[in-house]
Amino acid sequence: MTPLALRRSYVESTPRERIEALADPATFREILDPFARCSSPYLAEQSIVAQSDDGVVAGRARLDGRDVGALAVDGRFLGGSIGEVGGAKIARVLERARDGAFLLLDTGGIRLQEANLGLLAVAEICDAIVALRERAPVVAVIAGRVGCYGGMSIAASLCSQIIMSPVGRFGLNGPEVVEQEAGIEELDAHDRPAIWQATGGARRVAQGHADVLVEDDLDEIARALRAAFAAAPNRERCSLERLAQRFSEEAPA
Amino acid sequence: MRGAIWVRAVLEHARAVPDLPASVIALDGAIEARPYRAIAVVPNAAARFPRARGGEFGLDEGLAVARAVRGAPAEAAILSIVDVPGQAFGRREEAAGLHLSLAAAVEAYIGERRRGRPLFSLIVGRAISGAFLAHGMQGGWLGALRDRGVEVHVMSAPSVARVTRSSDGEVARIATVVPATARDVATFAHFGALDELFDVADPLAPTPQEIERVRAAIGEAHRVGLGTRAPSSRLETPAAATGRALARNVRRRIDEAW
Repeated sequence: MTPLALRRSYVESTPRERIEALADPATFREILDPFARCSSPYLAEQSIVAQSDDGVVAGRARLDGRDVGALAVDGRFLGGSIGEVGGAKIARVLERARDGAFLLLDTGGIRLQEANLGLLAVAEICDAIVALRERAPVVAVIAGRVGCYGGMSIAASLCSQIIMSPVGRFGLNGPEVVEQEAGIEELDAHDRPAIWQATGGARRVAQGHADVLVEDDLDEIARALRAAFAAAPNRERCSLERLAQRFSEEAPA
Repeated sequence: MRGAIWVRAVLEHARAVPDLPASVIALDGAIEARPYRAIAVVPNAAARFPRARGGEFGLDEGLAVARAVRGAPAEAAILSIVDVPGQAFGRREEAAGLHLSLAAAVEAYIGERRRGRPLFSLIVGRAISGAFLAHGMQGGWLGALRDRGVEVHVMSAPSVARVTRSSDGEVARIATVVPATARDVATFAHFGALDELFDVADPLAPTPQEIERVRAAIGEAHRVGLGTRAPSSRLETPAAATGRALARNVRRRIDEAW
């Protein structure tokens, strides 16, 4: 483990810094970078300032020499939501990647402001992950402040391996959405300790819903990422027997 | 209601698949003498998880759909009847890992399609969010009723207004300028994802002629091999050339730079 003073925080890094730190040195080549000016045309109508990369950093990098797709969702832009541009970037990189891909997911899911275009993209992303993982590793990292929610939590669940830190949260509906839809008696979105205890990285790894628990340390995550590429894929995560057992533990008495 | 009506109506010689929770109906039958398994998620007031009693995708529903998909007879195609209001919103569900229940269904659909089993989806009511991702969106062929009760979106209408902190009126105005946020099936058709729209006088009581048209369309789609297409093939339809021009442009530019 890296001494605390020398540790570089994943949480405090930008999506590009994260990819640069995790890939083999100086191998990341971004495609449709911010200068390509490929942003969402749907946000101005909704009084939102677009971002020139649409909140998704996408490209190609080396990982232990492997030629992999490198993807990072920017949780700082509209909650890391997936719209038409960002969704198409992720789907196409996964379809093109040769030796696998890693996805740094910090995302609330489909972008409400581009609802059905995001929905179509996430269906393509799910299919692309399954197609790629049949021949190469697809590894998700969930270690940012937003966590991984909505349609992208389904996509992440399809990956060969999932790496989480205690900061990362992983679920279908975020706590605010559950509170809003079901009432504060169902779930208090301000009860942060309870939320992290139930859906944070430590819990998800203990449940077998994610595979590796790491500290908020780029070097440690870089090592875990390489190990995940070398490891056998987890084919049990969505096994019906395993999930039926897990879910029964939560059933009301 | 709609799901239960249509799942029982479309197949000929249908018999129920046993051992599923009451919220998931599966039937084995035929369309134009080819074997099909039809699957629908329906309300169940007695579901053991209270947040999934209104037809939502809850912990048990995702697993049951996955089981019905994986367990279909060897030669059968699958017909997903879609009327799903969304996923279950609950504390227990999130703690248990509801996303994995939906992922199990998605994985089952993708896996079967990639092994060559044709998948057809017919939207007869609501097709909302994760529930639609888990039940219908992986179909190689997608049809829908042309009806006001058919809705495609990522969130219920009142929730969209709350989450975006705007009024119902503002949400409705945005839907007229940003088609992706509209909910009606005619607007959704502009994205090129729908292969067929069906007119029905009363979606709660389809006539034999209306059912026959659905069967004929699915039968024809099956004959020409549309059931095993991947979702990305929807970008190649004529409507997608305009409706998803931006996604196509992004993909082309990635290919050029790769």
